Amino acid sequence: MKTISLTWKKRKIPSYLTENVSEDLIVLENLVKIYDTGLIKVLGLKKINLTIKRGEFVAIMGKSGSGKSTLMNILGCLDRPTLGHYYLDGIDTASMNPNELSEIRNFKIGFVFQSFNLISRTSALKNVELPMTYAKKGKKERRERAMELLKRVGLESRADHMPNELSGGQRQRVAIARALANEPPLILADEPTGNLDTAASEEIMQLFSDLHREGATVVVVTHEENIAAFTDRIVRFQDGVIISDTYRKKEDGERSLRTDQTEQLAEELWAAQSISAREGEAARSDHMEMYAGIAGADALGEQSRDSRPGKENPHVI
Amino acid sequence: MLFENMAMAFSAIRANKMRSFLTMLGIIIGIGSVISIVSIGDTMRSLFSDLYKNVGITQAYISIGYWVDDVRQSDYFTLDDLARVKEIFGDEITYIDSGASASAEAIYKRTTLNFDYTGIDYNYIDVQPVDIVYGRYLNEGDILGRRKNVVMDVDSARMLFGEENAVGKTFRTTIYGDTDTYTVVGVYKEDINAFQALMMGGGSRERGSAFLPYTILTWPNDYFYYLHLYASEDIDFSQFMTRMIAYVAKSKGREPGDFRATTAMDEMTQVDSMMGGLSMAVGGIAAISLLVGGIGIMNIMLVSVTERTREIGIRKSLGAKTRDIMIQFLTESAILSACGGIIGILIGVGLVSLGGMALGVGTVVKPGVIIMAVSFSALVGIFFGIYPASKAAKADPIDALRYE
Repeated sequence: MKTISLTWKKRKIPSYLTENVSEDLIVLENLVKIYDTGLIKVLGLKKINLTIKRGEFVAIMGKSGSGKSTLMNILGCLDRPTLGHYYLDGIDTASMNPNELSEIRNFKIGFVFQSFNLISRTSALKNVELPMTYAKKGKKERRERAMELLKRVGLESRADHMPNELSGGQRQRVAIARALANEPPLILADEPTGNLDTAASEEIMQLFSDLHREGATVVVVTHEENIAAFTDRIVRFQDGVIISDTYRKKEDGERSLRTDQTEQLAEELWAAQSISAREGEAARSDHMEMYAGIAGADALGEQSRDSRPGKENPHVI
Repeated sequence: MLFENMAMAFSAIRANKMRSFLTMLGIIIGIGSVISIVSIGDTMRSLFSDLYKNVGITQAYISIGYWVDDVRQSDYFTLDDLARVKEIFGDEITYIDSGASASAEAIYKRTTLNFDYTGIDYNYIDVQPVDIVYGRYLNEGDILGRRKNVVMDVDSARMLFGEENAVGKTFRTTIYGDTDTYTVVGVYKEDINAFQALMMGGGSRERGSAFLPYTILTWPNDYFYYLHLYASEDIDFSQFMTRMIAYVAKSKGREPGDFRATTAMDEMTQVDSMMGGLSMAVGGIAAISLLVGGIGIMNIMLVSVTERTREIGIRKSLGAKTRDIMIQFLTESAILSACGGIIGILIGVGLVSLGGMALGVGTVVKPGVIIMAVSFSALVGIFFGIYPASKAAKADPIDALRYE
C-alpha cells in the first residue's frame, strides 16, 4: 500500500495511472453494494457482472431506484463496492483508500454531471484546468491544453466567461472539456442532458458521439430512451440487477434523424446569422417555425414529435 | 498550486465582502491594539531614554541610607568632603555639587511668585547645557563668595519681572529663614519637547525656577544631605559607583551598605520594567481579542465549508485529494486572517503616528513588530482554520455532490 506524502514535493505518479493497461476498461465481478442505514440494510446492487471494453459507447438505463446511480458512483470511484470487484483499467478499486481513489478519478475518469457542476466564480478556462491542477501539471501546459479543449467544444471565445454567464448547453460543453482534461480513458456522464432543452441535448450527445468516434470510452447513465439511442449498447437496470444488455447493430446506427435536406437548410440558415449561442437558441425556435412552414407535413413533422428535432449547431465540431 | 490556492481564496473572500470584513474585524482590532500598544511602549521608552540623556545618564545622588538608625551629623557631607572626592576621583567625575534645592516666594514690587531654587556649581552648564540669552552664567566668584546672584529661565523672568531681559533686576526671597535681596545675573533658554514639558508638570507653569550658588544653600550649618555628581561617560558607571560608595563609607567610618545611591540608570531601568509590565498587560488583552477574532474566523470558515460542500464534492470528483482541499481552506483562513492583520497594522500605526504628531514627538514603530503581527495573525488563521478545513477535507464526495 502506498503512502500519500504530506510534503510539497512532487510525488511520482504511479505508472498504472498514466498507462492504458487493460483492453477491458471496466470489469465488474459479482459486485454487491449494501447501504447500511443503521436500522435496515438496503441492497443497492445485487451481484452485478459487467464488462465494458475500451472504445465502447454504452448507456446505462433504469428508473430511479433501479441501482443505476449506485453503479454510477462505483464506476466513478466515488464509492466502493461492499462485495465483489471493480477493475478499472485493470486496477482493483476495492482496496484503495480515498486519496488513491481521488488519483484514479483524476487520471482515469472524466465526469459529466446532470447539473454541470462547474465551480462558480471561476472562468471556463480555470474550470477546464482544474483536473490538470490536481494532476500537478505546469501552468503553461494546463493553459494550452484547456484552450485546446475549449476550442474542441467550440467555446474558445468564452474562455474567460464565468459559468453564470454561459447557457446550459455551453456549461455542459465546458464540463465535457473539463472531463477530457487529463485524457482519461473513461468518460462517465450522469444524466448529461437532464437539465438541457432538446436542442442542447442533441449538441451534447453529438459531442459524445464524436468523442466516441475518436476512440473514447463513453458511459452515459440516463433514463431517457432517446438519449440512450445515441449509444451502441444499452444496459438496463431494475431493482439492482441487470435485466438486459443489448448491442445495437451498426446498420441502424444513424443517430441523427434528420434528412440531408433539413441539414442543408439548417446550415444555410445558420450561416446567415452570425449570432451568439444564447441568441442562437431563440433563433433556433424561430427557425423551427419557419422550417415547419416550408417543410409542411413531410417526414420531419412526425419525427420532431417522437425524436429530437435538433439542428446542427455550428459550435459543435 | 500555492498561487492557485491564494487566487481561489481571494476570490472567495471577495465574493462575501461584508462577511469577510466582519470576520476580519476581531483580528483587525486585536492586531491594531497590539501594534498601538507596542509602538506606544517603544516610543515612550525612546522618549525616556532621550529624557535621561538630557538629564544626564551618569547622574547620581549619594546619601546616608534612610534605613540607618544612628545617623550622626558627621554622616552628612561638607564642602571639604566634596573637595576631597573631587581630588581623589579626578577625571572620573565631571561635576559635583550638594544636590541642594529650596522653594520660596520671590517678591518683586507687587509680584509674588513661588520659586524653586537649585544650588549649582559654576560648571553645571557643562553637564546641563543651556542657552544664555541675557547676561552671564554663575561664575566661580559667585560660588566661592557665596554671592546672592541667580540665573533664571526666560519664562520665570517674564513671570516675575514682566520682561525677559531681567539682568540686573533684584528681588527679595527667604531661604532657610534668611530674607535677602538677590540679583539676576543671567537669563537662559532651554529647548524642551512637549513630552519633557509634560513630565515637568504640564504646559502652563505657575512656578518660577532659578539657579543659585550651592554654597548659599548649605549655609548656615555647612552640612548637606547629598553628594550630587555626574560621572564621566567614558568609564564603567556601576564599577565607579561601587568604588565611590566604598570610599564615602570608609571616610565616614561606615559600611558601604549604609549609603544609598540613586542613579539615573536605576530610574531608567525602573521605567523600562514598568513599561514592559504595561505592555505585557495590554498585550494579554490584545491576545484575548486575537483569540476571539480567531474563533470568529473558525465560525465563518465552518459556514463557508458548509455552503461550499458541493464545490468540495466537485473538486474531489475531479481528483482533489484530502490534502488539496485542506490546503485550499487553510490558505483561505490564513489569508482572511492575515488581511485582517495587515489592516490592523495600518490602523495601529496610523493611530500611533497621529498621536505622536499631536504630541509633537517622533514615534517608534519597529519593523520586527509588524512582521511578527502579520505572521501571528496568519498563524491564528491557520490554527483556527484547521478544524473547518479538515471538516471540508473529510467530506464524502457522493454526499458532497448531492448537497443542495
